Amino acid sequence: MDWSSWWATYSTLVLSLGVYGLMALSIYLTLSCGLLSLANAAFMGIGAYASAIVTLQYEGSFPAALLLGTAAPAAVALLIGVPVLRLSGVYLAMATLGFGEVVRVIALNLEITGGPLGLNGIPLLTEWWHVLLALVVTVALLQALRHSKVGRAFEAIREDETAARLMGIATERVKLLAFVLGAAIAGLAGGLNAHYTFTLSPGNFGFESAVDILTMAVLGGIQGVAGPLLGGALITLLPELLRGLQEFRMAANGLILIAVVLFMPQGIWAPLRFRRRPGK
Amino acid sequence: MLEQQIVNAISLGSVYALFALGFTLIFGILGVINLSHGGIFMLGAYAALLLLTRVNLPFWAALPLAMIGAGLLGLAIDALILKVLRKRGAPHLMPMIATIGAAILMTSLAQGLFGSETRRFPIDLFDQENLTFGSISIPLLQASITGLSVVLMVLMIWILRRTRLGQALRAIAESPRAAALLGIPVERLFHLTSFVAAALGGAAGILIGLSFDAISPFMGQPMLHKGIAAIILGGLEAVRAAVLGGLFLGATEVFAVTFLSSEYRDALSFGLLFLVLLWRPQGLFGAAATRSA
Amino acid sequence: MRTHLLPALLALSALLAQPALTRAEDIRIGLAEALTGPASQYGVPIRNGFILAQDAINAKGGINGNRIVLVEEDERGKKEEAINVYKKLIFQDKVLLAFGPTLSNSMFAAGPIANSARVVAFGTSNTASGITDIGPYIFRSSPMEADVVPVTLKTAIRHLKLHQVGIIYGNDDAFTKSGYDVFKQALEAEHIAVVDTETYAKGDVDFKAQLTKLKAAQPDAIICPCLSEEGANILLQARALGIKVSFIGGNGFNSPKLLENAKSAAEGTIVGSPWFDGNPSPENQHFIAAYRKKYGTDPNQFSAQGYDALFIVANALRKIKLTGQLEQDRQALRDALPAIQFDGATGHFAFRPAPPHNGKPGGYDADQTPFVYIVNHGKFTLLK
Repeated sequence: MDWSSWWATYSTLVLSLGVYGLMALSIYLTLSCGLLSLANAAFMGIGAYASAIVTLQYEGSFPAALLLGTAAPAAVALLIGVPVLRLSGVYLAMATLGFGEVVRVIALNLEITGGPLGLNGIPLLTEWWHVLLALVVTVALLQALRHSKVGRAFEAIREDETAARLMGIATERVKLLAFVLGAAIAGLAGGLNAHYTFTLSPGNFGFESAVDILTMAVLGGIQGVAGPLLGGALITLLPELLRGLQEFRMAANGLILIAVVLFMPQGIWAPLRFRRRPGK
Repeated sequence: MLEQQIVNAISLGSVYALFALGFTLIFGILGVINLSHGGIFMLGAYAALLLLTRVNLPFWAALPLAMIGAGLLGLAIDALILKVLRKRGAPHLMPMIATIGAAILMTSLAQGLFGSETRRFPIDLFDQENLTFGSISIPLLQASITGLSVVLMVLMIWILRRTRLGQALRAIAESPRAAALLGIPVERLFHLTSFVAAALGGAAGILIGLSFDAISPFMGQPMLHKGIAAIILGGLEAVRAAVLGGLFLGATEVFAVTFLSSEYRDALSFGLLFLVLLWRPQGLFGAAATRSA
Repeated sequence: MRTHLLPALLALSALLAQPALTRAEDIRIGLAEALTGPASQYGVPIRNGFILAQDAINAKGGINGNRIVLVEEDERGKKEEAINVYKKLIFQDKVLLAFGPTLSNSMFAAGPIANSARVVAFGTSNTASGITDIGPYIFRSSPMEADVVPVTLKTAIRHLKLHQVGIIYGNDDAFTKSGYDVFKQALEAEHIAVVDTETYAKGDVDFKAQLTKLKAAQPDAIICPCLSEEGANILLQARALGIKVSFIGGNGFNSPKLLENAKSAAEGTIVGSPWFDGNPSPENQHFIAAYRKKYGTDPNQFSAQGYDALFIVANALRKIKLTGQLEQDRQALRDALPAIQFDGATGHFAFRPAPPHNGKPGGYDADQTPFVYIVNHGKFTLLK
């Protein structure tokens, strides 16, 4: 197959690889701060709806749409972050799942989001280099963050929150920062996604995608940015790769998840498996 | 109308409570959010359906057999997956993801084996009679199912509170390590808990399949959401609290429809859930004031 | 004369030079349906209908001796997979036309791909309004709810002498919600009062709270634009609560499953739909018998629509001359389709151009008169 027909066939899949890579990075960010938040799918949805409303109903430019798509979920995260982040562990996971359901029900009942019919006829604006640029910027940001004071604060909180607080880290604010940044990245991914899939409906960002996104990060490994990217790519490609199994392909998908958790607990990309400590 | 809605609330609530019962048992004692509980629930219903229609067993024999089947499935998940993760001291995420994998596997297998069509138990299996008291009417079947659920729930709570076994289980829930030091066979009781929880999940699938005539490979997922909601509302760690949570969720849904509008039913129940998590993370009926698990 | 001779000679020499070309060639048609996941309960019967039609057409010599080959892909009822699958069918498998996807939402995602590639996307199960606004390459053989519901309602009003009704529908699903919107409009047009409107969500199994409220509002009938598996459940629970009035259903109610599952609770239910299993036309009876023989179960409306759709396309293929030039053939097929009329399992069928949307040309909707029927003694019976 020549290049142009390969690209014509697989361009959407390539864009999805990038977008779900962004999603995996967004949850990696919150996980790296020790937060088991499952709200990222909902933030992606808020970003997708916000940006699609800009281009579809207000005929705004794509950059403006992406900007709002990034800002809107960040603002929501800031608002709910203060009370929600008092919870931790499983309680936080449950609360953020509950938040996802609330977002879905709101999207179902609002006029501007098109209710259960969703938004259709969203213009095709996302190009491959938009996604690549978003990925590069996000990775650069996360790497810079990792080696900064804030990044070390994330790690301290993940290891032991009480100790981190005693060390003088403003844990509440650091956690809120991770939560809001994660929401912004997820919103950006949502905005990009909306503009190459033509349609949005409230069911696109529910429980199932929340769980998918979490799986991406855990499957890839969360010891660095490479892991989530790899996990995102794998989860996106897996159903395609298993297409030959027909009705049992999701069964293979399930088996692979179990196998990874059992046999590769650090995820697939785990440099620390070989080096106990990162060399500094 | 109100009397009828109260009956409806009890009937719906006991459905949620029955599902939440096994779900919370695993969480309380093993400390695991078992996302495959919906899959076990679904396969329990299919097992009973096959025993009734293919093997032509009477219902009184099919119910316990299907429950044992579901229990063995739960045991397998514990022995093959959860035990490994326990030994390793894996973080909370890991059992969640592994059990999601198991749920996907079960749904997919069920779809491959039984097709994706909604099926139902043979309609002539039971009397389609109604009990009528004045303006209230309850299908006899529904009333018996509610009754059976209540019996199962009371039995579980009694075992946990009043028996030596229950005492041992509660010790494990507090601290598996301390329990092991006291000479309690922790691993064996983990297996037992997994078996019983899954058998209860299977029973829930059968009874709900019976009362609502909707058996499909996908029936587990929406029920799992309700189960999660029920145990958050009630309280994550105690069986009694989760059962009350299930009843409370049923009542909330029914009365949201009665006094407000069915359009706002889900918004109300999930909004309530959210509020409970923020203001009373131990649940409405939970006693422990722990916030982290 | 000379001008005609030359191409004929060329063709003859080509035939002699390449004997392989004289063999029947396969005509590749794409079929993207949800074969796994919750939407597969519609996708699988649709696929079955298509396969049945493919076998029937090929057994009778195909299209002028060329076989029709369906290239089947699973789109799982998800928008991104629908796009991926459509791209694969169009750019890699190089199909002449693509059928599916199963859900309206997926068509909103995949349709634009086909339209910009100038390939016909042919939906057989998409009833939402706005589908054919995507563009001139979008066709569908499933009548919109907006065409079916007013007819159903008029017949029901006449038959049941309705003054006031109650409604129950699923408000988180594109199919049931658009069914509701159309019913609401039609009720307003007929000046029928709505005494109570109730909703439920996907996956609900207990409808007693809503039904209790509906009962108290004392409607003359209950309108239920629901899918058949919820429908059966709603009927059973309504009867158990002592609701005796008739139910009026939309497209989704039209399934043998409804009768099988709801049994006597379905008595008096009025349904409007493009397909009617009791339709005595030989095409329909032949379809039902062949389906039962091949799959061992009863067909439903979705299988009938898939079955007919392939015959519609086959008729269009017979009208054109395939050149082997993909783009040219795709365009020729697109241009031949609108004029096709067909009498099949779903009765008489024709296309109707969709009105232009925002100045852009639209595709083609189904132009079919729905059947309105009532459940009488456990069987669907036509209502006049």
